[in-house]
Amino acid sequence: MTAPTRAMRGHGGWALPLRILQDGGLLIVLIVLLAMITGHVQPRFYSRLNMLNMLREAAYLAIVSLGQMLVMIAGGFDLSVGVVSALASVVAASLMAMLYAGGGDVTVTMILWPVLAALAAGAAVGLANGFCVSVLDLSPFMTTLAMTSVVAGGTLYYTQGIPIYGLPERFGEIFGRGSFLHVPASVMVALVFLALICLVQRTTPLGRHIYAVGSKARIAALSGVRPVPILMLVYGAAGLLAACMGLLVTARIGSGQASIGASLVIESISAAVIGGVPLRGGSGRAERVVLAAIFLTVVSNSMNLLRIDSKLQTLVQGSVVIIAIALERAFARRRQS
Amino acid sequence: MSATAERPGRETLRAALRSPILRVIAPIVIMLVGFAIAQPRVVSPGNLLNIAVQASYLTILAAAQILVLLTRGFDLSIGMTVSLVSVVAALAMTAGGHAGPEAVLFGIAAGLGTGAAVGAINGALVSLVGVNPFVVTLGMFNILLALSSIVSGGFPVQGLPAGFLSLFGGTFAGVPVPVAAAVLVVLVVHLILGRTVFGRSLYLIGSSPAAARVAGVRTRLHLWAVYVLCSGLGAFGALLLTARTQSGEPNLGGSLALQTIAAAVIGGTRLQGGEGSALSAVAGALFVTVLSNGMDLVRVDSYIQQVCVGAIILASLVLDRWTAARRS
Repeated sequence: MTAPTRAMRGHGGWALPLRILQDGGLLIVLIVLLAMITGHVQPRFYSRLNMLNMLREAAYLAIVSLGQMLVMIAGGFDLSVGVVSALASVVAASLMAMLYAGGGDVTVTMILWPVLAALAAGAAVGLANGFCVSVLDLSPFMTTLAMTSVVAGGTLYYTQGIPIYGLPERFGEIFGRGSFLHVPASVMVALVFLALICLVQRTTPLGRHIYAVGSKARIAALSGVRPVPILMLVYGAAGLLAACMGLLVTARIGSGQASIGASLVIESISAAVIGGVPLRGGSGRAERVVLAAIFLTVVSNSMNLLRIDSKLQTLVQGSVVIIAIALERAFARRRQS
Repeated sequence: MSATAERPGRETLRAALRSPILRVIAPIVIMLVGFAIAQPRVVSPGNLLNIAVQASYLTILAAAQILVLLTRGFDLSIGMTVSLVSVVAALAMTAGGHAGPEAVLFGIAAGLGTGAAVGAINGALVSLVGVNPFVVTLGMFNILLALSSIVSGGFPVQGLPAGFLSLFGGTFAGVPVPVAAAVLVVLVVHLILGRTVFGRSLYLIGSSPAAARVAGVRTRLHLWAVYVLCSGLGAFGALLLTARTQSGEPNLGGSLALQTIAAAVIGGTRLQGGEGSALSAVAGALFVTVLSNGMDLVRVDSYIQQVCVGAIILASLVLDRWTAARRS
């Protein structure tokens, strides 16, 4: 008699803190702890320059991770986000360089059309992924893996691995170094996407349908949700968001490169998973994924400032993912029992 | 039913495509003939032997990958296991400064032990803690990548004993050792999967974990064991590859995980688990090797090769779906 009572009391006492920790609280605690430790050892951590730098890096990762999250909620994966951002970079840069060299006078169209073309290219790859996964019913893993090979080969063949220079300065001024209401452009873009996706997830039927497709495809079909358009949409969105990140990075570094985004796949999946999106899909929140992206950025920034060997950084990143998921599993089991 | 009656020709084609022998051999033969027309050197005895040796490494690693794929698992860390094992074995062999048989044995034991240890950790996280295999092995990928470059300092480990090189890289009764080893591994994996309770349980776990538990299969133990076996086989493949490159290479396994998964899937193993065989490792590995070897000899640009490989994987997936469409 006494044992169950004690167990229940114990559970009751732990329930609230556990819930808060699970709902992103743990990430905030870890971010603050990490910031305090790094800031203590290396005061440069708090400098304006480093903060801005971190915000930009977090924004890049957050934008891609939001797309990855949408696909994962619907029960898939996107291994092609890295090469899609490279594709967008190469498409935009080569078009801009061509128009800039030909025209001379910088007009809005010289920037606008290449940007739209790059976004369209990203969305097109995403839609192709979505088509294979939904209509042809292929495995998301193999589809996006094969697509990665096709897109990477194509962009590398086109550029031969050489960066594309000669972009209009305005492009870098607006999207790279520019800011809007004192917020860097990339952070602004990330915030807009975050707000938009939060809104869709919480208030629209579309948001509920994405969850439904991920949680049980058959039940979703029975209840009238058609998985094909939803899957096309989430993969298309992931492509579009990855392309967006590619454009922002291109504006920042001032050249189009086929090599950007190499580590994006692992990082975006890590952010989604640490942000609480289960790999079998069906749940996940945009704000927690963005929090996880910030967390990963702070971790890597701290390790850079603390001059931790880059090999050890890789080791830490790998361990962080495994530990985060193991903790999540432990919490989930506790809740079930 | 009416569709079958109306289009008997199409059904016959489907049935033919479904027959495993044809599905495995036909595309490889077609590719060989196609490449041979463009470049006769493709089918020269020397190049065919070259293809066999190249394919044998991938066959062994794909067979290892198939074991975990059967249980709805993944091993994304297999390439990095190969790197770490290569470095550890090479360091262990060269540590003593003398190249006697005991140094070779020590190196082999260290390599296989490292592989088994990696598998034991992967398996424990997957089966005991219940973490998704994708995440476990993705995290492990990073960890092993770091470990192998830390242990080796980022440089190849040179000066391997001649005994090791001839044991794993020489010939055995006229057959190159890697080819003989691949045949042996495929045979053993085939027997394990077909003839042992452990093997049959893997299929059951993959097609329905709940049914496996109800049927009294010790799911956790089997899952753990399959990851140990997978990494152990990976370590064996790593020793063969180390003998081929004649050094312990921290960069040996870069893209091997994806290659093994691609080979397994092309060979007919399903990522949904419960379906696959040791022979699919042979078929898939031969397919991938013939494709890349042929494109090399026909002088296709390496970037265009990448595009072709992706397109062909997609095509084979679509074809697989098409032939399986009416199976159920």
